[in-house]
Amino acid sequence: MTNFTVNGQPIEVDANPNTPLLWVIREHLKFTGTKFGCGVGQCGACTVHVNGTATYSCLTPLSAVEGSEITTIEGLSPNSDHPLQKAWIAEEVPQCGYCQSGQIMRAANLLETTPNPTREEIVAHMSTNICRCGTYSRIIRAIQRAAREV
Amino acid sequence: MPVASTNRREFLQGVSGLTLIIGSSGLITACSPEQAQEIAETRSTEITPNIWVTLASNDSITIQFPATEMGQGTSTSLPLILADELDADWNKVIVETVDFHDEAYGNPFFQNMLYTAGSLTIQAYFEPMRRAGAQARRLLMQSAAETWGVPITEVETEPSIVTHPASGRRLSYGEIVANAEFPETLPEIEDSELKAYGEHRYLGHDIPRRDMLTKSNGSAQFGIDAQVPGMVYASVLRAPVEDEEPIEFDGSAALAIDGVTDIVPLPWGVAVVANTYEASKWGKEALSVTWSQTSRFREANLESDLEAYVDQVENLSQTGTAWRETGDMSAAMKDAVEVVEATYRTDPAYHAQMEPMNATASVTEDGKAAEIWVSTQTQSLSILGAAEFLETTPDKITLHPMFIGGGYGRRTLRRQKYVEDALLVSKAIQKPVKVIWTREDDLKDGTFRNTAAQCLRAGFDEEGHLVAWHHRVAAPKVLEYMNPPRWEASGGRDVIVMLGSESSRYDIPNFLAEHILTERHSRVCAWRGVATSYTKFAAESFVDELAVARGMDPLQFRMGLCHNNPRAMNVLKTVAEMADWSRPREDTALGLALAGYSSTFAAGIAEISVDDVNGAITVHNYWLAADAGYLISPKNSEAQLEGNVIFGISNALKERINITAGEVQQSNYFDYPVMRMNEIPNVEVRAISTNNPPTGMGEIGLASTGAAIANGVFALTKARVRHLPLTPERVLAAIRG
Repeated sequence: MTNFTVNGQPIEVDANPNTPLLWVIREHLKFTGTKFGCGVGQCGACTVHVNGTATYSCLTPLSAVEGSEITTIEGLSPNSDHPLQKAWIAEEVPQCGYCQSGQIMRAANLLETTPNPTREEIVAHMSTNICRCGTYSRIIRAIQRAAREV
Repeated sequence: MPVASTNRREFLQGVSGLTLIIGSSGLITACSPEQAQEIAETRSTEITPNIWVTLASNDSITIQFPATEMGQGTSTSLPLILADELDADWNKVIVETVDFHDEAYGNPFFQNMLYTAGSLTIQAYFEPMRRAGAQARRLLMQSAAETWGVPITEVETEPSIVTHPASGRRLSYGEIVANAEFPETLPEIEDSELKAYGEHRYLGHDIPRRDMLTKSNGSAQFGIDAQVPGMVYASVLRAPVEDEEPIEFDGSAALAIDGVTDIVPLPWGVAVVANTYEASKWGKEALSVTWSQTSRFREANLESDLEAYVDQVENLSQTGTAWRETGDMSAAMKDAVEVVEATYRTDPAYHAQMEPMNATASVTEDGKAAEIWVSTQTQSLSILGAAEFLETTPDKITLHPMFIGGGYGRRTLRRQKYVEDALLVSKAIQKPVKVIWTREDDLKDGTFRNTAAQCLRAGFDEEGHLVAWHHRVAAPKVLEYMNPPRWEASGGRDVIVMLGSESSRYDIPNFLAEHILTERHSRVCAWRGVATSYTKFAAESFVDELAVARGMDPLQFRMGLCHNNPRAMNVLKTVAEMADWSRPREDTALGLALAGYSSTFAAGIAEISVDDVNGAITVHNYWLAADAGYLISPKNSEAQLEGNVIFGISNALKERINITAGEVQQSNYFDYPVMRMNEIPNVEVRAISTNNPPTGMGEIGLASTGAAIANGVFALTKARVRHLPLTPERVLAAIRG
């Protein structure tokens, strides 16, 4: 058994400790907002917060999160009203939308450490995450908007 | 995404005409008694004036969406067209995705299939949606006028309300539905009765897309998110080369893994079934399989296969299938005083959609009926393909279409192998099964944009006029692989291979674009922009070469060729202004391409520099002007154009699939890199609204990118790179001659 919290809720999971956290979150716990993209830490679609740090859940074994606090996109805000989520909607960032949970979780981590990031800081931080639809310039605008409006 | 109710499906199926009204009583008699009871309890009175819209006494308006939402925004913009003409309150509109196969809802560009591709959704459905909305509005106005005993000419509408200004009386659409009698036949709508361009309440006014919230909080349901009670997981070890099959396998190590329950051999691989996804994947990795060694695809090697295509395309005695032909190209070329020729190469490209292929299926005990959850660009082919595969009838397939994590053509095939994986395994073990391909599976079993060799020839007469144009495309029959019945109906015209080679904006009297058929060496499929990523790369690079040959400025040369085409001239002028085309640059250069297709006009300009040590191209700025007619959603159109430019530049600079001995050499994003945020140029786009029927916007931004960049490289270095992608090695080789 592995014990940790997801979005503030205590969880006990009976799964092989080598299981990537991604699949525990998605298929054991049914928080499907966190997405599978590459499985090797190349695309960032699976990004969640582990103890407040943006983390590739596809590369994180279950055994590594014993006692940790995990936040997924579903737990980022109580009513989908995190400044980034509001900015994402205002800027109409998503196209297909598949990568956007990971983008938002990655960006949320940036704003926690750097509340007013420069464009260069945004680009450096966010280049871990792929958006095949090419929404990058809108992601930048949305992060800048969220930073202004916090 | 709204899920269509089973009840609605059953009473709408077969409704193909426009003269049928189903009220609540008619609806009940059309159903079983149990269903009737349920509907009577849950539904208010409804009328369905035509197949597209249902109005309810509770004021809700349900509009059928016959496409799929994959990021292009049509799940908002298409129903919006109907809502605008109906004068509906948009906040009362429910959008339902059509989830069954019915040609009445199908796209006429695709044999009346429900099929979302080629940027043809708005183009196909603009008129039907307008008429359906106008017809429903007229019906409501007639009914209200009769209730009030006034002539219909005295009634008007405001959102979801019919008004009689003279008396101040008002009835909401729902009140009319609840109380009025409706005629047996419906009003006909004349063209002149539809709203004119510019008169719309919603169209052209940036109504927000409806899928933004669910795509910002994780609740949007994609195919991979399907959760079905009792579901198990399967991972499939697939044959390394197309057409090979497992000869024998040892599943004992897989079965020893905790959670693995079954091994199911498939014609193209071996499936490991488990209670968890991770166990199925570990089981797959533990399989030992001996594969057959007989496939002809084992001889496939990209580089030699491409050179064989080049030999064919340059051999003018091998004629092809005409795609566009005007005048007499051969005679004009023979009489020309100057002939210019060039050959262009394109490597295969991968869709790299973010959601790897996956499907969930539940097959009945007799194997003749199934329920399927899948991200698909075509409800019709997902249903028809599954029915063919199970040797059953389409009505036995229940489809749950989901949001799509990137389509770009990947999810358009008739044979959907990921669905077939799930069907076969579910049939074998009699449980619902979710199959998720790994990224590596997705690449190794990818269906790529085809390899192509293209030979361009142009002839000038004595006065220097361009009088003959010959565009030869050597490529396999992609449409045949994607969808054999559609290929059979095409008369040999392969739109997936040829689109864009028509170059119809230019006034060239003797023109031939033809498809030289070659052998297929890999799985193939439509890719974003259909064929324009390579046909426009070749055609618009070649136009630049002709301008150079005539000693002319590339912009002026193009304007001379399309002076009779005001829309083409307008996008050229607009983009030239945006880029300040005539201003000299120091260490950078500009390259231009006029590259719209179908009925959309677009032109792009790239500002580039080249690292003269390693040959790497940097794109600093990209400007794009597009005219897709009357703009439904200006802001979303610009988002589409921006994204397309990024997609196109990514492809033009570095995307390349290599195939050796039939095996795809790439396996994940680290060896098939796509553009990241730190690599994007400044992109400026302008979506021009014109009073022309609205056409496609979802792929048009991509078509100009390859040629604009290559033309910029030439402008800077005088080196012509004719092989896409424009890798540093190819640029260096061209510079060094």
